[in-house]
Amino acid sequence: MQPVDQEKAVQARPRPASVASVRNLRVYFQSKRGMVHAVDGVSFDIYDGETLGLVGETGCGKSVTGRSFLKLLPVPPGKIASGSIQFKPHATCRNCDGNGCPSCEGTGRQSAANSRGRSNEKGIRDSVDAEIVELLEIGREEMRRIRGDRIAMIFQDPGKALNPTLPISEQLSEVFLLHRTSELLEAAGLPASTGGALRRFASQEQRFGDSLLMALPPNRAFRNRLVGALNKMVIEALGDTQVPNPAKLMARYPHELSGGMKQRVMIAQALACNPDILIADEPTTALDVTVEARILELIKELQKKRRTSVLYISHDLSLVRRICDRVAVMYAGKVVEIGSTDAIFRDPRHPYTRGLISAVPSAGARRGELAAIRGTVPELVDPAPTCRFAGRCPFEADSCRRFEPELKPVSNGHAVACFIDSAAPSGRQPTFQSAAV
Amino acid sequence: MQLRDYILRRVIILPILILGVSIIVFVLTRVGGSPIGIYLSHEMTPDEVAQIEARFNLDQPVWVQYIYWARGIFQGDFGWSGVAAAPVTDVFPNKLAATMELAIASGLVAVFLGISLGTYAGARRNRLPDHATRIVAVSGASLPQFWFGILLLIVFWANLGLAPIGRSDASIWSSISHPTGIYTVDAILAGSISAFWDAIWHLILPALTLGYGATAIIARMMRSSLVEELQQDYVDAARAKGLAERIVLRRHARRNALVPTVTVIGLTFGFLLQGTITVEIIFRWPGLGRWMADSVLRGDQATLMTYVLFTSVLFLLVNLVVDVIYAYLDRRVTLGK
Ligand SMILES: Nc1ncnc2c1ncn2[C@@H]1O[C@H](COP(=O)(O)OP(=O)(O)OP(=O)(O)O)[C@@H](O)[C@H]1O
Ligand code: SF4
Ligand SMILES: [Mg+2]
Ligand SMILES: [Zn+2]
Repeated sequence: MQPVDQEKAVQARPRPASVASVRNLRVYFQSKRGMVHAVDGVSFDIYDGETLGLVGETGCGKSVTGRSFLKLLPVPPGKIASGSIQFKPHATCRNCDGNGCPSCEGTGRQSAANSRGRSNEKGIRDSVDAEIVELLEIGREEMRRIRGDRIAMIFQDPGKALNPTLPISEQLSEVFLLHRTSELLEAAGLPASTGGALRRFASQEQRFGDSLLMALPPNRAFRNRLVGALNKMVIEALGDTQVPNPAKLMARYPHELSGGMKQRVMIAQALACNPDILIADEPTTALDVTVEARILELIKELQKKRRTSVLYISHDLSLVRRICDRVAVMYAGKVVEIGSTDAIFRDPRHPYTRGLISAVPSAGARRGELAAIRGTVPELVDPAPTCRFAGRCPFEADSCRRFEPELKPVSNGHAVACFIDSAAPSGRQPTFQSAAV
Repeated sequence: MQLRDYILRRVIILPILILGVSIIVFVLTRVGGSPIGIYLSHEMTPDEVAQIEARFNLDQPVWVQYIYWARGIFQGDFGWSGVAAAPVTDVFPNKLAATMELAIASGLVAVFLGISLGTYAGARRNRLPDHATRIVAVSGASLPQFWFGILLLIVFWANLGLAPIGRSDASIWSSISHPTGIYTVDAILAGSISAFWDAIWHLILPALTLGYGATAIIARMMRSSLVEELQQDYVDAARAKGLAERIVLRRHARRNALVPTVTVIGLTFGFLLQGTITVEIIFRWPGLGRWMADSVLRGDQATLMTYVLFTSVLFLLVNLVVDVIYAYLDRRVTLGK
């Protein structure tokens, strides 16, 4: 393996700065049959403000890749075996101190490209705002400060991702209590340096006896103001997702809302703190088509307003084509092709991508499922160093079963892991003409 | 339906259920034989026996007898206890207080220990604490209660002399009155620390014996439902917000895991009441259970019927409380279905 080449392949040309760079990520799961290489050497960048699609058949490692950003993997059985995810958080805009001005297009944040030399943030966010954060190495506390604030996630089934026994307002409040304590205190007319029970109340760190303290004057008045400020934040966040009557929605429980409404709440929750990256793991698969269209529109709009980058995980090629700037195609734990949406759909280079694009979805397939390609996904247990697609590939030649292709650039920003475009060290080489009859 | 309406409706149905229960209790007891035995002695002639039968309406059909009995109950007359040699109503409150003190103490032990152990184990699934808790739970559910109680007695009372037997130390309690009959409360009311400790001291072993099985049941339920909750998406979503693991557990997973556990807690209450019979006999605890056991052996039907009627009503009430807590914890529950 030649990591230098791989690096080159991914960063083939000058382009907008990346907010995150995944390098050689490997995530394994211990199973009875051996190590499952769920993600096996994945590298890609997420550029500032873009939507990157991550597509592939079920079980190819998309969710595991997305969850790695926030270390939301069950350990054990899972473990991050190697690799790095470098995250370059946006800095607060120097001109307007985060309030929004023309030079930052109203987002209050500098793009990742010119974040050098920015002013330091107050207190607790210092370490998070460091130039480059290595997500796989930082401690638990630091990761907690990034989760929900700098990198947020929405899940496939909004019906399951909301706590059924807490009202909407309480679930949304948590985000602000966690990441916006100082702002909350300020909005309630308290100095940001407030300590004691009031601060613990505003950061959801209540201890035994605090509820009594907060119920007594003078804290009582401040508590009411804090709750008022909090409610205002929640209503604003909900309002941004265009739910009708956000103030009334707050007291509702998840089961009282429709699927689309629940996903809006999830989106409000995820985007509440203007994250730099949103990881959207099939956020519309559980919704019906008309609702899906509106949710996608909403994500696009909010994304633009906040200059959030989106990692959009999906089964659905046509959807990805519609909304993504770039696409990464995964197969059996690897990225086999990555490039601009245009390049991928106009000139797919990997046989697997070609198969996906040309295959007509079968009549029995569920909506959002990929069209069937003959054969089945290979075992991910202790895989041999061959092309993972060999055995299903119509073009394979004998070198495909002896070597493992790596991502190599074929044109600007377009890279493919297949011996058709970059020859294997030895053996008979595959070509697009060599298709088995 | 509103929670308030629901409670109201359940309370209105309650008397009908109690009526049904009382009929069943009466009939079952009469099937066991005539209660006349308790009033008889060897010297009585057949005439005298017939007189007594007539006096207590035992010569009438069963349904007429039931009406007499029910009327008595409405007038506060639960009959004569042969075992206690006094009217049932005279003896009942004290015995009830003793049993309640025991049941509540062991119930508290079981709920508190069960939920803590279950949470502790469930949050550390398949790790050492989980396995250790499983041993406690399995032994708690399978050790026969009387055997466990006798074991404790042998070790702590007979061998080590650490724990007392019975309900109180007479020398400490000689000057203390019993307004409630619940000794721990009486001691607090009297402001006597030594009496309070004495009450607790006498309570520990029986409460432990009685609560052990229920602890095991609650812990296992809590563990398995917590494990299930922790696999739900909303737990990961809570983590993705940046919540500390401790808060994810406390505020999100544990609360939801309590929903099925509360039902089980309601059921273990019956388990506890049943257990009082054994435990009171072993530890010479002067409560309803021991009285009841004696009454069964000696055919004291008035006591028996009162006991069964009382526990049935208690059961109905506990069920109602459990349902209400359940509905409160889980707002998805549609009430009245
Ligand atoms: N909790 C887990 N325990 C064991 N193995 C797991 C676990 N989660 C994922 N895996 C393994 O990782 C592989 C990739 O899973 P992942 O969820 O990333 O797939 P996916 O591409 O998101 O599929 P889908 O489209 O169905 O969501 C799976 O095939 C599975 O073998
Ligand atoms: S390397 Fe060979 S088997 Fe793999 S995709 Fe290319 S042609 Fe097919
Ligand atoms: Mg997935
Ligand atoms: Zn600005």
